[in-house]
Amino acid sequence: MKFWALLLPVALAGADKLVIPAGLDAYLPVPDGNPITREKVELGKKLFFDTRLSRDHSVSCATCHVPKLAFTDDRPLSVGVAGRLGNRRVPRIINRGYGKSFFWDGRAATLEEQVLEPVQNPKEMDMTLEEAAARTGLSIQAIQQALASYVRTILSGDSPYDRYLLGDLNALTEPQRAGLRLFRGRAGCTACHLGPNLTDERFHNTGIGAPGEEGRMAATGRAHDRGAFKTPSLREAARTPPYMHDGSLESLEEVIEFYDRGGRPNAALDAEIRELKLTAVEKAAIVRFLGALSGTVRDGM
Amino acid sequence: MGLRLACLALAAGWAVAFESPAPRLLWAGPEVTLLGGPSRDGRYLSYVDPATRNLAIRETGSGRSRMVTRKAPASEEFAYFSAMSPDSRRVAYAWFNEQGFYDLRVIDVDGSSPRILYRNEEAGFVQPCAWSPDSKFILTLLFRTDNISQIVLVPAEGGPPKILRSLNWVYPKRMDISPDGRFIVYDSFADEASGDRTIYLLSVDGASERRLVSLPGSHLFPLWMPDGKRIVYASERAGTMDAWELEIEDGEPRGAPRLVRRDLGRFLPLGITAAGELVFGLRSGEVDVFVTTLETPARHAHRVTQRFPGRNTAPAWSPDGQAIAYLSRRGSENFGQESRAIVIRRLDSDDERELLPKLAHLERVRWSPDGKSLLVSGSDNQGRGGLYLVDSGTAAVRALVSEAGASFRGFEGVFSSDGRSVFYLHRDAGLRRRELTTGKEATLYPDKRFRHLVVSPDGKLLAAGLENTGIALLPTAGGEPRIIPFRGLTELEWGRELVAARGTELWRIPLDGAPPAKLESPGNRAAGLSLHPDGRRIALTAGNVKSEIWALPLR
Repeated sequence: MKFWALLLPVALAGADKLVIPAGLDAYLPVPDGNPITREKVELGKKLFFDTRLSRDHSVSCATCHVPKLAFTDDRPLSVGVAGRLGNRRVPRIINRGYGKSFFWDGRAATLEEQVLEPVQNPKEMDMTLEEAAARTGLSIQAIQQALASYVRTILSGDSPYDRYLLGDLNALTEPQRAGLRLFRGRAGCTACHLGPNLTDERFHNTGIGAPGEEGRMAATGRAHDRGAFKTPSLREAARTPPYMHDGSLESLEEVIEFYDRGGRPNAALDAEIRELKLTAVEKAAIVRFLGALSGTVRDGM
Repeated sequence: MGLRLACLALAAGWAVAFESPAPRLLWAGPEVTLLGGPSRDGRYLSYVDPATRNLAIRETGSGRSRMVTRKAPASEEFAYFSAMSPDSRRVAYAWFNEQGFYDLRVIDVDGSSPRILYRNEEAGFVQPCAWSPDSKFILTLLFRTDNISQIVLVPAEGGPPKILRSLNWVYPKRMDISPDGRFIVYDSFADEASGDRTIYLLSVDGASERRLVSLPGSHLFPLWMPDGKRIVYASERAGTMDAWELEIEDGEPRGAPRLVRRDLGRFLPLGITAAGELVFGLRSGEVDVFVTTLETPARHAHRVTQRFPGRNTAPAWSPDGQAIAYLSRRGSENFGQESRAIVIRRLDSDDERELLPKLAHLERVRWSPDGKSLLVSGSDNQGRGGLYLVDSGTAAVRALVSEAGASFRGFEGVFSSDGRSVFYLHRDAGLRRRELTTGKEATLYPDKRFRHLVVSPDGKLLAAGLENTGIALLPTAGGEPRIIPFRGLTELEWGRELVAARGTELWRIPLDGAPPAKLESPGNRAAGLSLHPDGRRIALTAGNVKSEIWALPLR
């Protein structure tokens, strides 16, 4: 089988085309009020790298969301203006155009809503929106729409796993295939990590984090959401440690060990989390499979 | 003409005059299956021959049929859904392969040039729905082992599929591509919490998607008219299954949906020909739960309930024999919260009580020895198949085993005789035991071929069908299985004695080495059998469902 046409051009407003990597949906949801255009994406990219959006001109979005690191960084917790330490690990912002909610606790319902928060967060960029508008000479809405449009174009796909699913049965090695069988079988990873983006876009309590941490509860107010955090995509995970919302696990091996033990017991532990009793060979196979989820990261038009 | 159609004029009265002309019968008989569709010119129908399970083509004019595939008689492989190319020369079809999942294949109608277009265990169910107008792509549904369904275009000459849209586990029942090749219509749930379907329009280039029908009720099975200006679909908005149409212009709905034909019965749109005829399948007849005797099942059968006739299946006697639990379908959906209820009927008072557990699919139930809970095979509201404990009083659900990769039918399971553990058949791990209080699990027998699991009354033996071989007797304490030869097993039940089913036949299976003894046939029996503790009465699912193919001229 020939593997031509693994990149799928998707028509956008006007004559522009957004190239979707293999394995992702051609249909990329875009709100009616903010259609993707080349102009907005290019402006959004400039803003993404623009340190004027931070109080002391020291950080831009790209300071934490480093393109060569799949749009995350390598630190356990985010670092903002004046070296201020954030509360959580910087999430990889790949394929977020397909997302259903944003931030680890899902408090933003749209990318448009999400992109303005870090600008205003005192631990991140520490600006008011009015200040950001004045510095850039753009309206708040223009900043918002351009950043959201650009983030929608940050896509990861065309990994060995994608090629395997598309019919290239040699794209995965035998250990990776064994890992895949465990991933969707006895290890139960697909209970949460499923679909093209390997996330259910839901919230689960695995026991990771400080005792009593609110997690999803901060957004919903519901007690049973305490300690629950959004399932991250596993794309590009193998090359972007550390892991979990608090960056507390340094390697994929540690992550697998954590789930093999059944997470960290607490009153709200998700029903999906239970002791797995995987062998060392099985754990290694899953790690190898996770390595097959790294592919091509693209941004812009 | 089927009963429902015959009653149409009387029931609908004057409204008929404004609807499309009456449908005409294209094909009736035991060989009719509804897994294919018409060719664009209307001269052929693709279908699965029920006797051989080969892909076949029927000439609608002459009624002549011919096999397109030629599988070996003993092979477990078979053809499934199919769609004919616009020039009627090729058929795309799903083929259940020797490895136990479905390929997408294409073949010339004369049986030549068969080839595999897509084969991957990770997307082990495929359904070809339509060809693109230029015959370059086959609009196909993939269903993946992580419970994701995908709308894809598979190149007809080979190559990787183009993924257009990923959906959750509730896959579209029908998809079609517009005559200009620009748009796809499909049905899916209106929202995650709803059991109702509605119609969506997706542009082939991925640029847009929109919901076409926002009316209450379920709207499904959309097809494009040959002029590309309308879609036709089935709708339950008026309480009956009707055909409706909606005008589409440049990907936008124009005006309100219009009634095409009222109350077509349980119809399944298969395709629309170039001449504008809607070819549809129609199911008539019904199955239901009956109570009768093991010795004379055909003579003493009576329906267990008069409620929801034709919607009741999978009976299970309570341990004390005073009640019977059965599944009762609600609405047209097989999935979704409350699509099926568990009904518990007391035999002494005829009182019925409904349980609506928070599960998306219920396949079968088994009572716990103390009668306080039911072991339910099925799937949860995220489509994960497994085994669930349902409280027989409150309907509260506790997941015992729940896996994304498991079939929506869940795992077959039975209680141990002391009620402290369950035995179940896991697709990847064989026969397992799970302790209910500790959750500890162990594999008793790693053989993955077991089917139809039952336990002996004394709890010392399990019995299960062993693929095309016989019935395996398996000590619950472990040890060598004993095989009783019995081919073609379709069901097992263990009351005072072990009873096996082979299609509609019932057989008594002696454990002392004597040959199996055929019992009187209960007639049109379907899957679903339970023996009363008295050893004399049985509850079974029986009936007859027929399929016909009709054509409805559209204006």
